[in-house]
Amino acid sequence: MTNRQGRPLPVADDLSQPFWEAAKQQRLVVQRCRECGYFNHPPRPACDACQSQQLQFEPVSGQGTIYSFTVMHQPNVAGFENQIPYINILVELEEQPLLFMVSNLPASDLDKIKIGGQVEVSFEEVDPDTALPQFRPV
Amino acid sequence: MWTGRGKTAIVGVGYSELTRNSMKPLGVLALDACRAAIADAGVRPEQADGLATYPDAPFLGAGSRDGQDIVSVVYIINHLPLAPDIRWYAQIETGMIASPVIEAVHALLAGACNYVLIWRALHQPHGRYGAWSSTRATGEAQFMAPYGCTSIFQWHAMAWRRYMHRYGATREHLATLVVNSRRNANLNPRAFFYTTPMTREDYLSARWIAEPLCLFDCDIPVEGCVALVVTTAERARDLRNPPAYVAGYGQNTSRRRTLFHYALDDYMACGGSLASKLWSSSGLGPRDIDAAELYDGFSPSTLYWLEAAGFCPQGEAYAFIQDGRIALEGELPVNTFGGSLSEGRLHGMGHIAEAVFQVTGRAGQRQIRDAAAVCAIDGSPMLRGSGVVVTKEQ
Repeated sequence: MTNRQGRPLPVADDLSQPFWEAAKQQRLVVQRCRECGYFNHPPRPACDACQSQQLQFEPVSGQGTIYSFTVMHQPNVAGFENQIPYINILVELEEQPLLFMVSNLPASDLDKIKIGGQVEVSFEEVDPDTALPQFRPV
Repeated sequence: MWTGRGKTAIVGVGYSELTRNSMKPLGVLALDACRAAIADAGVRPEQADGLATYPDAPFLGAGSRDGQDIVSVVYIINHLPLAPDIRWYAQIETGMIASPVIEAVHALLAGACNYVLIWRALHQPHGRYGAWSSTRATGEAQFMAPYGCTSIFQWHAMAWRRYMHRYGATREHLATLVVNSRRNANLNPRAFFYTTPMTREDYLSARWIAEPLCLFDCDIPVEGCVALVVTTAERARDLRNPPAYVAGYGQNTSRRRTLFHYALDDYMACGGSLASKLWSSSGLGPRDIDAAELYDGFSPSTLYWLEAAGFCPQGEAYAFIQDGRIALEGELPVNTFGGSLSEGRLHGMGHIAEAVFQVTGRAGQRQIRDAAAVCAIDGSPMLRGSGVVVTKEQ
């Protein structure tokens, strides 16, 4: 996508910093519980499944399927006014059922979107310090 | 069966005006509705000795100024002369507006007070619904806002798309629900769309909001308030309106499988956690219900409720609503007052008010025949909500 002027940028915090650091290096990592193996996304201070605080970020394959998608027509989000209509997909990562990440797809890919379709991660550099994981049809 | 079944009743309903841009601040609209409910019940203001509300603004960031964006218990105590000594109050933060009704029932059964005034005031903020203006995305929003995916209707759109894909539903199917609600609103003088009809073509040609949701799949935001008076069955017998007995209730207590917003997969289990309690407490089941007032902040939620509450099997609601089945004269009238889609966004309070009107024979031109038991359910099934069953007989 082009023209990212004025769009919201993620502000890394104590919990999410490893996620964004890895993304900058073109790696997708997800916080995982060392006790029970559950993946937590967004990252948590304690595991959603077992409340353990033994959590660490682990590389994932970057492979997933399209759980659903929508074409957004409202200029609701600052910086996206000129992109309308734009696509959001909800990606279910292959590592765990209902482990979701949000992504965009270029409008030209609309006819390639299929629920259940395979996608894989790529990275969109949005400023010199930030890369967003974005999923693309395989 | 619940030991409190039929021991309390809703005896008064009051509406403020419902408009897009009121000249009155929200606090004044709330007082209008509260006074109207007290007058409707036929009690004196000084008899109202209990207060309950769910005050939340319609979306995060919509403001929290008391008397303008929300109307709290404190606001009502400070501005409405009621009992000289209010004996009990509750301000509920989760579960939407049926939850304060449930708390009021508990308080009455415990003898904490005699007449509870409950209100739901909804502010219609200027600007776009749920607009995001910051260039810095913190908290969970850091994983959504950079993608332009912060609005709740985008998430509802994705759930509905998934439902369509899974079960074969189409927009043409959903049109039946939305048009039926509008037809009912055209018989409801309080409805925002009372004088505005809608055809299937109007629905199908409406502009997109987030595909596959169009403008008319979203409830109509209004500024206004609805209030209720609840009391014990014993006291209810002496009042001017027939009582709407509270036969049972349920809250959504499910543990969701994903905590990153929500997914369609949760709707049966989460909705079921509310519905199972609704039926077990009241001793009634879906077949005993004469009309269903089912939350419709976004239209697909009503379909999810029809399935999660057991009115039809999973994956069949879009077919169930066809052929006049949910019309006023149908087998199961649904959202007989127009729902939030066509009466106005009152976050489920309109649904409860209508359940009361139907079982007490006060629904005017939209009165259904033989309304012995009506349920009202708040919230989308994937999110926290609650519901009540009200009955004509104790």
